[in-house]
Amino acid sequence: MDWQAVAVSAQLALVTTLILLVLAVPLAGWLAFSRRRWTVAAEAVVALPLVLPPTVLGYYLLVAMGARSPVGRWWQELTGSTLAFSFSGLLVASVLSSLPFAVQPLLAAYGGVDGRLLEASAVLGRGWWGTLGRVALPLSRAGLATAAVLTFAHTVGEFGVVLMVGGNIPGVTRTASISVYDSVQAFDQVAAGRTSLLLLGFSLVVLTLTYTLQRRGGPGWARP
Amino acid sequence: MSGSLTVRVRRHVVDAELVVPLKGPPVTALFGPSGAGKTTLLRCVAGLERPDPGSVVVFGDELWSGDDRHVPARSRRVGLLFQDHALFPHLDVDANVAYGLRGVPRSLRGERVAEALATAGAGHLAGRRVRELSGGEAQRVALARALAPRPRLLLLDEPLSALDTPTRSRLRVDLREVLLRSGAPTLLVSHDRTEVLALADRVAVVVGGRVLQVGEPAEVFGRPADAAVARVVGVETAAPGVVRSRGDGVLGVEVGSGACRLTAVEVLGETAVGPGDQVLVCIRAEDVALELPGRAGPSSPRNHLPGTVTAVAVDGPLVRVDVDCGFPLAAYITRPAREELGLVPGSAVVASVKSPAVHLVPHPQ
Amino acid sequence: MTGTRRGGRLRWLLAIGALVASGCGGPASSAPDPTAGTVVRVAAASDLRFALEEVADLVAREDPDVELAVTCGSSGQFVQQIGNGAPFDLFLSADLAYPEQLVEEGLAEADDVFAYGVGRLVLWVGEESPVDPGGGLAALADPAVRTVAVANPEHAPYGRAAVEALRAAGVWDVVESKLVLGENVSQAADFVRSGNADAGVVALSLALAPSAEAEGRWAEVPLELFRPLEQGGVVLAGARDPAAARAVRDVLLGEDGRAVLGSYGFSPAD
Repeated sequence: MDWQAVAVSAQLALVTTLILLVLAVPLAGWLAFSRRRWTVAAEAVVALPLVLPPTVLGYYLLVAMGARSPVGRWWQELTGSTLAFSFSGLLVASVLSSLPFAVQPLLAAYGGVDGRLLEASAVLGRGWWGTLGRVALPLSRAGLATAAVLTFAHTVGEFGVVLMVGGNIPGVTRTASISVYDSVQAFDQVAAGRTSLLLLGFSLVVLTLTYTLQRRGGPGWARP
Repeated sequence: MSGSLTVRVRRHVVDAELVVPLKGPPVTALFGPSGAGKTTLLRCVAGLERPDPGSVVVFGDELWSGDDRHVPARSRRVGLLFQDHALFPHLDVDANVAYGLRGVPRSLRGERVAEALATAGAGHLAGRRVRELSGGEAQRVALARALAPRPRLLLLDEPLSALDTPTRSRLRVDLREVLLRSGAPTLLVSHDRTEVLALADRVAVVVGGRVLQVGEPAEVFGRPADAAVARVVGVETAAPGVVRSRGDGVLGVEVGSGACRLTAVEVLGETAVGPGDQVLVCIRAEDVALELPGRAGPSSPRNHLPGTVTAVAVDGPLVRVDVDCGFPLAAYITRPAREELGLVPGSAVVASVKSPAVHLVPHPQ
Repeated sequence: MTGTRRGGRLRWLLAIGALVASGCGGPASSAPDPTAGTVVRVAAASDLRFALEEVADLVAREDPDVELAVTCGSSGQFVQQIGNGAPFDLFLSADLAYPEQLVEEGLAEADDVFAYGVGRLVLWVGEESPVDPGGGLAALADPAVRTVAVANPEHAPYGRAAVEALRAAGVWDVVESKLVLGENVSQAADFVRSGNADAGVVALSLALAPSAEAEGRWAEVPLELFRPLEQGGVVLAGARDPAAARAVRDVLLGEDGRAVLGSYGFSPAD
């Protein structure tokens, strides 16, 4: 059992989820409540990682972050190490690849909030951020929970993008999913089996938790 | 122009002009059938909708909506009451009422919340959860929430329509008092004539997106400016009066200068009025019968009002006769009847009104 | 009041988030931990997987401070990754031409290139397979053989050699449509081991692995059918600790190291 790989997966998933929740709350809010017409285009871009093959995403990320790219070179100057094939690079890749999993549940939940509550908030003196934080978000707790869980689980399950951008470096970018792949190539069925079972068990626990959370009644917990 | 709310708005179906004084009797009603654009107009004043270019909304000497400018709702310091309270379900009553008090120092907020709840008659609801409130209670809390930040203008969108009849009539009376007490100029949207009669000092009739007539309720309901308005409001006498007696299922009401005494029936289920209460006496023109003086013998109508005809006008198949019997009373009679009675301005006549046809609407001044 | 309670909770969440994200330099941060010794990151061609495990033991004995972190894959893919800045210290390729290419690209010094052995190809079949490896590559033309696994010839030297051998053996036309490509030679071997491919043309070093011995039968592919697999490596210019990387190289090329390579079927380098 490659505990190191499990730890990499866990840390990657946790940090990605936290970053994405911070990003997705206002982003989904902007998509839901802005009246401009071109938010449709933005919504499509956000949804891209859902339909793009992971290899395509990985390819573009390598082009954008690799040592030969402007971003990669800037990062190298800043930190002394490469962005691609590092944990930070994986983080960037994960955040982009899991973006729709964080944004879409929130977007759906915001859409379910009674428009008159938002208007009441505005008339009572709140600006855009205030209304988002004090009315829309508290009434979208189910969406937030779903977003967190889906993002976490999706990140743990990532393979193609991680392999291309991370490079399977043990202890740094070898995640649990890649470790399974690696074990199979090393003819180590036992290790592969153990790690897979762990991931399976984890996914079941996470999903059960989400659905339990969603069943809680009360404002904001209606299923999105 | 300072001291009024001037509205010249074009949006969707609405193409309306309205000037509402900000001092003096505070409540102005926008009255008209559904779909007339009243709510759109209200929302443009609130800042929730942006009127088409060319429109103007001016509050006192502040330009709220103009060609280049649109002050957002949050900066206008208005209070808004929705038809169905729109209370925040995840906050309790106190948090709801305090929501608009961001600019108030924390130490004073509790006081303001208590004050607003008391004004709205909801002091006993403090600390409760929103889902525990009945329709009427929720609407009171919503009113308190709108009043707490001491808005400069109060906007009520069909505030009583979502309530059941007994609650509605109870709240109607309280609401009038709350509005008088708060003192804030108020714009009220309603399609219910009783609501308008009970609450408003001034009525603007909105039909097809246009403001057709503006005036005091008695004026608008008694003397509609044209056929379109008449179709919406009907013709009705609405005169201020005071209840003087109650007993045996009937109420005695003094109308006009005091010379006239009318008998009205107590309606079960509606809010009870008692001696000393100020009311509007409403009588539909169709319910007024005219006789020549001199008829003797008891008859069932309790009200026989001697008066003089002031005007006679043909209105389709009917003839409208205005009578002065201590207060202006309008009557509709048929053309043959008018011929038979030979009524002309100046004729002496006795108006008969059955007690059930005398509607009393509580209307404190 | 519910309102302020929610605000407080949000602040807590942000604090925890900041705390975790600050540890987000990654599990193995860029600065090496002096107490743990030096980690030498090796990019190794997949055929070396099992041989390297034994070499790692040798390194642990000779240089206890040095630890190997090995990533296995196809040589061609590693060239791509190294070109994109992948942080390896030592590259062990299945084809000497790749390290030489890296020198040309300025990613390594010519002096640091070294050859470490010559690889061999085998026809490998799983236990359940209908194929008899004794029949040589010609046996693959049999219709009973439905799938044949090789490494991807685009970027894996063993794949390239396998295709060469199949052509030279005259069975390419028949076998081409049966090919199943592994991303590297050990994935190809795994297809065979798991029974998903009826046979495979893969590295001898993999067939000789302890975990593979019981899983299949093999026969060597005659050397004249393909260009020799001259395998070589290089210490990369971007190595964090070139001295440590060279120390590992020295172990590989030393007496014990050559013995290990020999036991996995590698012929000595010329």
